[in-house]
Amino acid sequence: MNSDPDSDKVLNIRDLQVSFRSIAGTTRAVNGVSLDVRSGEIVGLVGESGCGKSVTIRSIVGLVPSPPALFEAGEIWLRTRRGMTETLALHKNMKALRQIRGRDVSMIFQEPMRSVHPMMTIGKQITEGILEHEVVDPAEAYDRTVEMLDLVGLPNPAAQMNRYAHELSGGMRQRALIALALVCHPQLLLADEPTTALDVTIQAQILELIRDLRERMSMSVLLITHNMGVVANLADRISVMYLGKIMETGTVEEIFKEPAHPYTQGLLASMPSLFSQPKTHLQSLRGVVPELAMVPKGCVFADRCPYVMPKCDETPPVVELRVDHSVACWLYADGGETQGSEDAATAEPSLSSEDTSGDSQKAVGVIPVLGTEPGSDASQEQLADSYTAQLQIENVALHYPILRGLLRRQVGTVRAVDGVDLTIRRGETLGLVGESGCGKTSVGRLVARLVEPTAGRIRFGADGGLEEITHISQKEMKRVRRAMGMVFQDPLSSLNARMNIRNIVGEPLMLHQVAKGRAVDDRVGELLEMVGLRAAHQSRFPHAFSGGQRQRIAIARALATEPSFLVADEPVSALDVSVQAQILNLLLTLQQQLSLSMLFIAHDIAVVRHVSDRIAVMYLGKIVELGEAREICVRPVHPYTEALLASIPLPMPGLETLREMPKGDLPDPANPPTGCRFHTRCPYRQPICEQEEPPLRQIAGNADHFGACHFQDELHLEGVEEIEEIYAPAAAAEGK
Amino acid sequence: MRTYILQRFLQMIIVMVVVMLVSFIIVELPPGDFLTTLREQLTDQNVDPKVIDSTVEMYRARYGLGENWFIRFGKWAWSLMKGDMGYSMQHNRPASELMGERLSLTIWISIATLIFMFVVSVPIGMLSAIKQYSAWDHSFTFLALLGVSVPSFITALVFLLLSVTLLGATTVAGLFSPEYVTAEWSWAKFVDMLKHVWIILFIVGLGDTASTIRVMRARMLDTLGEPYIDTARMKGLSGAKIYFRHALRVAINPIISSIGLRFPQIISGSTIVAIVLTLPLIGPLLLEALLGEDVYLACSILVVLTLALVIGNFLADLALAWLDPRIRFEN
Ligand SMILES: Nc1ncnc2c1ncn2[C@@H]1O[C@H](COP(=O)(O)OP(=O)(O)OP(=O)(O)O)[C@@H](O)[C@H]1O
Ligand code: SF4
Ligand code: SF4
Ligand SMILES: [Mg+2]
Repeated sequence: MNSDPDSDKVLNIRDLQVSFRSIAGTTRAVNGVSLDVRSGEIVGLVGESGCGKSVTIRSIVGLVPSPPALFEAGEIWLRTRRGMTETLALHKNMKALRQIRGRDVSMIFQEPMRSVHPMMTIGKQITEGILEHEVVDPAEAYDRTVEMLDLVGLPNPAAQMNRYAHELSGGMRQRALIALALVCHPQLLLADEPTTALDVTIQAQILELIRDLRERMSMSVLLITHNMGVVANLADRISVMYLGKIMETGTVEEIFKEPAHPYTQGLLASMPSLFSQPKTHLQSLRGVVPELAMVPKGCVFADRCPYVMPKCDETPPVVELRVDHSVACWLYADGGETQGSEDAATAEPSLSSEDTSGDSQKAVGVIPVLGTEPGSDASQEQLADSYTAQLQIENVALHYPILRGLLRRQVGTVRAVDGVDLTIRRGETLGLVGESGCGKTSVGRLVARLVEPTAGRIRFGADGGLEEITHISQKEMKRVRRAMGMVFQDPLSSLNARMNIRNIVGEPLMLHQVAKGRAVDDRVGELLEMVGLRAAHQSRFPHAFSGGQRQRIAIARALATEPSFLVADEPVSALDVSVQAQILNLLLTLQQQLSLSMLFIAHDIAVVRHVSDRIAVMYLGKIVELGEAREICVRPVHPYTEALLASIPLPMPGLETLREMPKGDLPDPANPPTGCRFHTRCPYRQPICEQEEPPLRQIAGNADHFGACHFQDELHLEGVEEIEEIYAPAAAAEGK
Repeated sequence: MRTYILQRFLQMIIVMVVVMLVSFIIVELPPGDFLTTLREQLTDQNVDPKVIDSTVEMYRARYGLGENWFIRFGKWAWSLMKGDMGYSMQHNRPASELMGERLSLTIWISIATLIFMFVVSVPIGMLSAIKQYSAWDHSFTFLALLGVSVPSFITALVFLLLSVTLLGATTVAGLFSPEYVTAEWSWAKFVDMLKHVWIILFIVGLGDTASTIRVMRARMLDTLGEPYIDTARMKGLSGAKIYFRHALRVAINPIISSIGLRFPQIISGSTIVAIVLTLPLIGPLLLEALLGEDVYLACSILVVLTLALVIGNFLADLALAWLDPRIRFEN
């Protein structure tokens, strides 16, 4: 094997080009990627869906099926126990490749739920790896496996050896997979979206574990993610990838504080963070990631770039701005470093203006909603005015029976919602946040009366006073629904694929006999333009639209009957960051235009904070904290809220949260813990917490803030400060 | 695990009782008393009246005729379990005598067909998936399609035709060479049967084998695309270990669980073939019994076949539980 002069590098990818051949033609998924990983370093590879991140790192270890893949050019040098090895050449030499896999380089995958073999014990799967590479007796392999399971923080490691995948939660499986990957002490760990499928608190635990293991096992990590926040606290260097090319590479500080490439700037500005001004428009990138076959010539970002210039028809050069900071953009070419930075700085303000217009919402512009300045008099008045409730649910519960066996005997009850009180005021957005399985969606379904509550009372007022809708018939509900729109998480499955857009959006109009014939066409056209689509697209079918556009269609449909109330259940979580920002902007605009009240459900507290006036935090079927959005994020009173906040990876390198993370997994909702449901994971628990259930009650000295913790008035919890000053440099970089 | 087995076992018993009840009702349903019919028949055949009396009396006692229905059912079921299959009107012989050898032959041939199907289709399907789009894959995909679409009696007829015209054979049909047909069981007879049986297995099993190849190929492809196979690859395991240790056990699951369902298919498939090739299997007898409204015989055969089917299913469930921890721990 050859040896490479640069001995510091564990991985060195040079000009990698990978294409896929299909009947439709050949598309280049990876188009000249160069990337280094040095000893002991964590490198983040960031980019939106489909930009070729997975293909890049799978190429390193020969996991891209070929055919259809064609490795057209490039070299991948990997440090192995035999020196630097070029792995692309090894694709033909399975034996040599196998010796590298698991021993010199390992990989963990996006879906821990499906990445553990379902029919083999954890122990067997891990020892198998050891026995493959080393001559050790089974007893030693067993001991090493137990040791490794202990190292990745699985409780009672010896007992885990005999367990199967289905007995472990997602977080535990990812831990087991990390143990499996590292048991032969590879120098490089490839992690392909290792936390994307996990809840935020579990994500935080896994990221912490990777950071910790990097030190302990002195390895390097190449981490793929689409979430800028994930890499901010973990990575040493970041490469930003777009459509098969690296746009920018730099140290984590430089990328976040002085992003040079317009795409990087756009990505950062698109993310709602815990520091951004709530209820303002995010500076989203215009448009969407194009199909690979439609990639612009020259700079692949040209069709979305606010600074595009004639020169951009040619492929931009990679410019070294500084040591360790390079960018592929014409803005920085020719004049070198200084001019480039200046260019970027002066150009930045134009990013925001370009974007809002590009997002077809110019008419509304960036108007902060009233009430976001809690001190101001005007907002107080506004608050009092709008205090009338539009929706009120009292002590509502929804229990699902768990049926088992041949006779469908009921063996238990999932208390999806277990006594929830909420009021949504007119014109207000109430955010509902919590981890998966905590009952958020169930609350949404109850409010829309898609299910009948097991107990409690739901009242809704279309325009006048409140009317009880708890048990009204579906026929009567139809009338109520005219005033109630709904948007769901998955834009594709929530739209009927066989109906064209005119019928999808117009259906509620016809159903409620609001319009007929031509009038439907006109109204649908109006609605489509309102959500930023073309009226002429009425005859198309859903599959002809991108994910973001489909979500716009779903929103248009929800607003067809001019409802005064909107239930939005995870409307952006299936979307790419840049598109997510567009949809959030759209929702904010529409809410102001149409003075909608909204129940906004999401798992990401940063997203919820961005759009909501008030936030309700939910845990295992109960509301544990309720209050004004910023107040909750700055001064949380419930330990679970604090944990949620601490788990959000902040897109701010260096700003590490030192708070204690919640331990363990979410308990089984069919069998919630006694007393305070959070006590199994709460760092502040006292003996009383296991016995007595704390009710949701007012916080001393704040009429609009509620908590359900025994010690809410004594504990001093840490929220995320509104550190405008600390954040200033990054904020400037975002173009504020 | 124990509760699982117990559950399945109880299910098996329940199904069997239900089937017996239904059969019993069918037996009892036709108007006219069985004994009257029997007496008439025997009289028609000029049997000695004393013998008639004693025969009728014997059946009356054995089946508790004239008593209330559940006693009759109990007696009927009990005698069935002891191997007394009732009396065939059509053949004037106890059903068990008629079924005797045919039944065991049928069961053995079915099992052999199942084994044949597994041994042939699992490796072929697996290899087709591993070498997707190769010449091997293409040819077997084509053959499997052919095998699925050609009914087995056509295969049987073609085979018959070919062996008569091309080979000039005179003894293609049947399970034995003529000299052994009526002979006592012996080593030689057994060897003779083996010579004939493979072709029957082939004809009867062809359709099932072909469809199993397709299922196996599709399942293997799905499994190989699962993330846990990537995990296995990243351990540095060899292809053989990945395919056999990791993929096969998952891919084969639905095939094992379908064993129970294949059994009746094999029986009905073999019936047609058995008619064409004049094989002494149970299928043609059942058909004859049904056509001739020979209730006792038909029901006995049905009950026995269901029994075999239910037991087969139970064994398949056990095999699945042994293979798949998810099932094992379900309870
Ligand atoms: N086996 C394959 N056959 C054909 N095309 C493929 C194959 N694997 C990937 N591609 C294409 O290559 C492109 C890059 O895919 P890749 O999976 O690397 O994206 P990614 O950046 O990892 O996206 P995500 O964030 O969604 O995981 C995509 O357009 C994808 O459709
Ligand atoms: S090269 Fe041109 S189009 Fe590409 S990012 Fe730079 S300015 Fe924009
Ligand atoms: S009641 Fe106790 S366990 Fe529950 S959140 Fe408060 S301190 Fe923690
Ligand atoms: Mg990917």
